[in-house]
Amino acid sequence: MKMPKFIKRVFLLLAIMGPGLVTAFADNDAGGVATYSVAASKFGYQILITLIPITLVLFITQEIGVRIALASGKGLADLIRERYGVFISLIIFILVFIVNFGVVLQDISGLKSALQLFGLNYNIYLPLLLGLLFIFLVKSTYKKTERLFFLLILFYLSYFFSAILVKPDWGFIAKSIVIPQGKMSFNFIYTSVAVLGTTVTAWGQFVIASSIKDKRLTASDMKVEQFEVFAASIISNVFTMFMMVAVAATIFHNGLHIGDAAEAAVAIKPLAGDMAGILFGIGLLVAGFLGCAIVPLSTAYAFSELFGYEGSLNQGLQKSKFFYGFFVFQIVLAAIFVMQPKFSLFSFTLYADFLNSVILPVIFIFLYRFANNKDIMGKYKNTRMQNFILITCGVIISCAVVLGLLGGALHLK
Amino acid sequence: MLYFSELENKKVVTTDGIIIGRLDDLIFLLSGKPRLTKLVVHTQTGTLIISTESLQKFNKVVRISKYFVQTDLEENELYVKRNLMDKQIIDISGNKIVRANDVILQEQINLDSSSYECFVSGVDIGPLGILRRLRIENLVLKTLRLVGISIVSQFLSWGDIQPLDLMRGSITVRKEEAKLQNMRPEDLADHLEKTNEQNIKRFLNLLDNEFAVKVISSLNLNYQRDLFRTWKPEKSVAILEKMESDTAVDILLSLSKKRRMELVHIMDPAHKQAILNLLSLTKTPIGGRLSSEFFTASPTETVRSVTKRMRHETGEFVFLATVYVVNQKKQLIGVFNPHELILQDEDTPVYKFMTQNIVSAQLKTPLEVVVKKILKYRLPGIPVLDNNKQIVGIITFDGIADLIESQFNK
Repeated sequence: MKMPKFIKRVFLLLAIMGPGLVTAFADNDAGGVATYSVAASKFGYQILITLIPITLVLFITQEIGVRIALASGKGLADLIRERYGVFISLIIFILVFIVNFGVVLQDISGLKSALQLFGLNYNIYLPLLLGLLFIFLVKSTYKKTERLFFLLILFYLSYFFSAILVKPDWGFIAKSIVIPQGKMSFNFIYTSVAVLGTTVTAWGQFVIASSIKDKRLTASDMKVEQFEVFAASIISNVFTMFMMVAVAATIFHNGLHIGDAAEAAVAIKPLAGDMAGILFGIGLLVAGFLGCAIVPLSTAYAFSELFGYEGSLNQGLQKSKFFYGFFVFQIVLAAIFVMQPKFSLFSFTLYADFLNSVILPVIFIFLYRFANNKDIMGKYKNTRMQNFILITCGVIISCAVVLGLLGGALHLK
Repeated sequence: MLYFSELENKKVVTTDGIIIGRLDDLIFLLSGKPRLTKLVVHTQTGTLIISTESLQKFNKVVRISKYFVQTDLEENELYVKRNLMDKQIIDISGNKIVRANDVILQEQINLDSSSYECFVSGVDIGPLGILRRLRIENLVLKTLRLVGISIVSQFLSWGDIQPLDLMRGSITVRKEEAKLQNMRPEDLADHLEKTNEQNIKRFLNLLDNEFAVKVISSLNLNYQRDLFRTWKPEKSVAILEKMESDTAVDILLSLSKKRRMELVHIMDPAHKQAILNLLSLTKTPIGGRLSSEFFTASPTETVRSVTKRMRHETGEFVFLATVYVVNQKKQLIGVFNPHELILQDEDTPVYKFMTQNIVSAQLKTPLEVVVKKILKYRLPGIPVLDNNKQIVGIITFDGIADLIESQFNK
């Protein structure tokens, strides 16, 4: 029996798929869900107009990262250390550590509120979940860890069902994605920017490059991996749409206000039935968990690569001490913060956003320089067109984060 | 002993006190005892390369003779900063990849000739190297000493390392080959898999042909495929002809049909016939005869533990003639049979007595080839590996006995 070419390609994709999909979905972590929920509760379907631009920007930035990783066989942090030396490496690491710590805080507190939603005592279940996660990562190889991530991603389907249950006007949704609706305001622009900022992240760049290295993909997987990133950007943002729809059709429609994703899950219940709210809550739980796994991993990868310690999911605790050490350190520290009953996330989020706005343009400069270096890239060097698009995206995102920050600061009062 | 980090950016001054510029990099001759040959100096007008024959001493400043000689880069020369500092390096003795945090130089002053020579003696791979680069080594050391902690330096001598990135293609050094030749081809292949295709190629160029072929045979199929895709057909064929024909067929099958035929076409007649015969067999899939009933152990596991696990876990097995040893990535790295096992002491770890010479097949390997291998090596069964050297199943003698029988009855 001869396998049709199409089927063959699908199998090839399934074997190579992973880094792109996992990173794209991790961008919809608990912090992301919170931002999308709040945005949709303020502006309803109007916010859907941001979906196509963020999908494009996510695809373009991740594609460059993938191309660099495949062409060089190195992680992003490897290249930074080799090309820019110890001092720059140290600064980058400190920034990455603090920014990622902020994101981990968001994710753990997302996890905490999701647990509370289901009436579970977070003092017991939070350490339990995180402990299990750590043991799993140490014991398993990259491949197995990836399977866990795939499983978690499946749970994102709960947003799909939640969106179905709230019975939205799909025709109007389709229209809102393509044609701008409603009035423009500073507030709307600021919120759109926040949505963009939570989707394209610095840690995403570290994770995707290092996991490609860990998976031992090579330049010959280039086309498939580029396709994966493309598909993953679309799929993950389709789920972003479901989140927004679930909130827009209920909370915005009834003129309610929410401050975070857990409140959204609670508010959806009386408006669209318990099931819709529960599903939304499950989604938040999974998003928090995925974030808790991947964001600290990116710090751990960055540390091992910048300072030359062995670090890989494929190795055990003994050989990759520092790698897992950094992972645990972040999680434990963040969990201690979050488990304080009086913990307020807001001020932390603000400083994390600020540092993110500092580091993201820097990462883009690195990406630009690596992607244009013939030593590193060989025949995969950026074309002029790709440079133009990258610079455009870089400028847009940099403006976006700065603008978002200003907006956030203004809202402080 | 000098550290490169302490020399970098020092003023370069002639014996009559004229400041030439600042030291940017050092150039050394790649050999068993790598001697510094040139200084790279940043001046206000540009970069100068100055021969170390003019070097008087590394001191507070870099002192050079006032009649210094300018030269150019020659073959087999590498830069300390550009090619070693911050780069990944294979620690041959420790068998792992590390990063060069600093480069260590050794001065040698010959009293009789009053000549001054300097050698690269090794690299610093420890945290102290990083602290030194950040200019806070002493501060941190002093602080830690107050609380009673001391950090030990971690050095690797030049004989124990191999730069992973040999950025310039022109390097061919006999001495280096010998060093790598001491490694097991499987280990070297494993390291190479951590780098990119260009590097793999550079490394293979350093090795003598026979050893290179062994290393290539040990790479996983993804990398083999990439290499053979980009090599010139003549080169590919030269290597394929040196390989076991079974391995060669596996590689050929991973290439596109067009490329495969192109390569087979230019092989010498004897090999060509053998390979064509094997290729014609590839229509028979082996999937149907694959058994998933096999037992694996880890290389560090003791005989005691293996025996115990076999007692508990293999009760249901119909057939068990070989124990497969897999590493943490689940890649097959060795085999042994139960007889070899019971001959050992209880506390011996598996890696001490396992056989590392593994006969295996790929999913694409034609069944006929598998049968031939089993008969040729008198094996009770052979493992079938995927592109990452992980076992997908085994084909046992029992599983193919009918084929041999049918041949016999003809």
